[in-house]
Amino acid sequence: MAAAIDGVLPATLQEFVKKSKVLVVGAGGIGCEVLKNLVLSGFTEIEIIDLDTIDLSNLNRQFLFHREHVGKSKARVARESALSFNPDAKITAYHDSVTSTDYGVNFFKKFDVVLSALDNRAARNHVNRMCLNADVPLIESGTSGYNGQVELIKRGLTQCYECTPKEKQRTFPGCTIRNTPSEPIHCIVWAKHLFNQLFGESVEDEDISPDAADPEALEATEGKDKAAEDDKEKNNDKEKNDKEKDNEKDSSNSNGNVVRINTRQWAKDCNYDADKLFNKFFNEDINYLLRMSNLWKSRKAPVPVQWDTLLPGGASSDATELARQHHKVWTVEECAHVFANALKELSAAFLKLEGSDTLVWDKDDQPAMDFVAACANVRSHIFDIERKSRFEIKSMAGNIIPAIATTNAITAGISVIRVFSVLQARWEQCKAVYARLRLNGRNQILVADAFFPPPNPNCYVCASDPAITLRIDTKRVQIKAFRDEVLIKTLNMVNPDLTVESTGSILISSEDGETECNEEKLLSEMNIVDGVILKCDDFFQNYELSIIIAHFDAEREDVLFEVIADKNQLQPKEEAKIPEPVVTEPSTRKRAANGTDATADDGPSTSKRSRPTEIKDDDDDEDCVVVEDEDDDFEEVVSAATDKLTVESPQKLVTKRKPSTISDVDEEITEILDSSDEELAGPTKCKRTKLEEPQPATSGVEVINID
Amino acid sequence: MDVDKDTNVSGVELTEAENELYDRQIRLWGLESQKRLRTANILISGLNGLGAEITKNIILSGVNMVKLHDDKLITEEDFCSQFLAARESLGSNRAEASLTRARALNPMVDISADTQPLKEKSSDFFKQFNVVVISGESNKELQRIDSICQELGIKFYATDVWGMFGFHYASLQKHSYVENVFKHKCISKPNEKVKYETISTPRQCEVEYPTYINWIDFDITAPKYARKLKRDGPGILLLRILQVFRSEHKRDPSYKTRESDITLLKKIRDEVLPNSSLSNEALELLFAQISPAVAVVGGVVAQEIIKVVTKMEAPHRNLFIFNPETCIGYVETIGVR
Repeated sequence: MAAAIDGVLPATLQEFVKKSKVLVVGAGGIGCEVLKNLVLSGFTEIEIIDLDTIDLSNLNRQFLFHREHVGKSKARVARESALSFNPDAKITAYHDSVTSTDYGVNFFKKFDVVLSALDNRAARNHVNRMCLNADVPLIESGTSGYNGQVELIKRGLTQCYECTPKEKQRTFPGCTIRNTPSEPIHCIVWAKHLFNQLFGESVEDEDISPDAADPEALEATEGKDKAAEDDKEKNNDKEKNDKEKDNEKDSSNSNGNVVRINTRQWAKDCNYDADKLFNKFFNEDINYLLRMSNLWKSRKAPVPVQWDTLLPGGASSDATELARQHHKVWTVEECAHVFANALKELSAAFLKLEGSDTLVWDKDDQPAMDFVAACANVRSHIFDIERKSRFEIKSMAGNIIPAIATTNAITAGISVIRVFSVLQARWEQCKAVYARLRLNGRNQILVADAFFPPPNPNCYVCASDPAITLRIDTKRVQIKAFRDEVLIKTLNMVNPDLTVESTGSILISSEDGETECNEEKLLSEMNIVDGVILKCDDFFQNYELSIIIAHFDAEREDVLFEVIADKNQLQPKEEAKIPEPVVTEPSTRKRAANGTDATADDGPSTSKRSRPTEIKDDDDDEDCVVVEDEDDDFEEVVSAATDKLTVESPQKLVTKRKPSTISDVDEEITEILDSSDEELAGPTKCKRTKLEEPQPATSGVEVINID
Repeated sequence: MDVDKDTNVSGVELTEAENELYDRQIRLWGLESQKRLRTANILISGLNGLGAEITKNIILSGVNMVKLHDDKLITEEDFCSQFLAARESLGSNRAEASLTRARALNPMVDISADTQPLKEKSSDFFKQFNVVVISGESNKELQRIDSICQELGIKFYATDVWGMFGFHYASLQKHSYVENVFKHKCISKPNEKVKYETISTPRQCEVEYPTYINWIDFDITAPKYARKLKRDGPGILLLRILQVFRSEHKRDPSYKTRESDITLLKKIRDEVLPNSSLSNEALELLFAQISPAVAVVGGVVAQEIIKVVTKMEAPHRNLFIFNPETCIGYVETIGVR
């Protein structure tokens, strides 16, 4: 408690530390370290909030927690441990979500500074807005592996958290997943969907069955007009008849795909017989794909496998030993054994559920993880894709961000040093700092920005009159989805009201029950069509946003909407239809935003924007969205898709990107800067420097001739 | 591309409990590194706040054994950052007072304390360690231990934090390690959008690290060095001043005599390098050990120890300086011609 001992700190700083109130959001890897630094520095008024409980895999870095604390509230245990370091501190712990309406702008206004140590974008966005509104300086931090980052966010002085584009989620088109996988991740995503089809919550976009008709043949022969669509339907019907042979009572959904629920019923009807299920997924469905010859003209055709051929003696009754070999790459035969055993355990657990309950896939649930690892590898084998160990598959399927104690300690240390500067209003000392694995061109391992990047005038959060253009298929999106997917999940609002600007009529109300009847209506049915301007207001976040609707007709594999923060971004792809207000006749009926749904906390971040310097905190951030394929032309697009298939793999060594545009600090590859380049203008410039050829072996370490 | 095949970890298998506990870090540095950590024995001498930070990080990483060494007692000042010692331990030995909490951090690590003065320790004592980390000692003593480590082939670290300022010096003799080299390969076909793949290949490196005496003998006033001093800031000068203070006064600046010690520091500053850019303000933040700065330096040192033990990535060569004002941490190579 440095501030409690006279003479340790300079007198002015000592006073600030003694009297300031601090909020710590997040009691994970960084949060634990921050809390320790705060109490030891002599802060006495600290509040900490975290909704999470302690997990065994946290203990390698979240040092305020021990084995006996597993399962308990992070915030509360962190408080107890930190109090033992300084019993004089007053710490209030909340085991709660920071996006809960209990913590409004007035709550934030109590504090002199807020430290955010969060692990997901949704909560970060929210804290950003609250601090902007309350005009409280925010120290935002994050780590990922060896990389750490600390930045100050202060209204009017710096960028806000949402000023810069966020890193794009890696996403895959549904047809790649269903028909033509080419990378391990495609098979892993498919395997997770298979799990959901058999045991999990039904998600419409997660069909694992092959497309009913050759999608590439259709593309070749049909236009995109309505008539072609009808043809497609007919075509699909025909194909569907072929599929009847597969002993499935299939019905077809509007996409022409086999409705998944039947797969579930079918699996149940055959008592989850490993032999039958295996052959369906890995033989019959593959054979079906092979019939679409167009698919395999330029691709290597898959080779189906058969249960009896792989395991002539049937599955061994005990594959648990095998399944425990997390680092081994299982053979296809071993995968079949693991598949059979996991299937047995999962089906037993599934059948015990009541009513319409389903299993939830969890990377830490052993049979669920075994099942996905085994199925992904069998499919990889079929498509001649490299198989992976269970350990590696878990990283990708669970979207695990590696985390270590040292990076968290360094990052949290810098955060609290920044708090000292903030309290003394020494803003010029608060430039963003990055911790790296390797030295930069100026031999720095902890690198500071040279200046504050100015706020983005087009930021849809901190600009004075924020507005976005929303490209959306108004004929396919319902009001309810508009609220949940667009406003809450993508734009991170908590409890929004939505009105039509020209008429003031209410489409979505934050009051329970007021606009419920609108929920199932399509936007177009409510006259929300191209050019309409909507006003959205989240009272809780004190956040108002204009939304300009730009309608487009989405193709089947398209995302249904995209947020375009900067109107200019619209030009290249669209004939920018700048709203010529269409006469609308909005309904006067009421609709309700379901209040209980309104907390978006911990929901997956669906942003497609990339924030070049962003890194997440260490925790198991489940942020994972599968949207459409990479579309580099749309850097500024913030968006979500209805197609939530995918997974971002945090630790890929193989990444696709343009070397000349690498600007993020959170990628290992940017670590390799030419350290012989001493004359760079400043650290910021260094970070943005074009990737140079790695140094030759002999200069693994730069030698400075001093004498 | 011959990669160092270390035989001493081939027989090591991690238990399921270890795999679970270390999961998030194994995903970063790999199984092989975790096995290497599992065999490492570390000496932490000087259980001040910095020693406590390094100890915490090293124990969490899952090394085999950590020896906490100190002959000093817990004082009020330690409570600014020494979180391993409980309030009740005021007046007891710093290493012993740290044992209980250190052990609670990771029951799988063998942790013990030693209270015999460092001066009385001969080379026999150091033999058992792979890495030796010392803080709070005079340059003379640091040099003695570094020589012992040279002979025994032990990796040596000297480190300290004064207030918010800190450093470490690595004397690793000949150190070999593997680092991943990233290259870009164009994977798109001629008519497509250009796409690259980053490919990582391991590369074996071997580098010589100068001994500690190179820093003691280093002349920061050399005109040739002035440009560098100007560019990187006066951190290295501050380190020199503090070490001169320690050897002249047989102690560090104390908060109890804050004003007179600042005067003494100014005097040393003006003797060592007149007209330097080292501001008076920087001298205000050199008392006790301030927790967040200790966390940064302790985190960096622990990460260096992990690099050394796992033989992954290049350890800093060789002097690391942390500037609390900018939060920039940089590395200078001392003693290489």
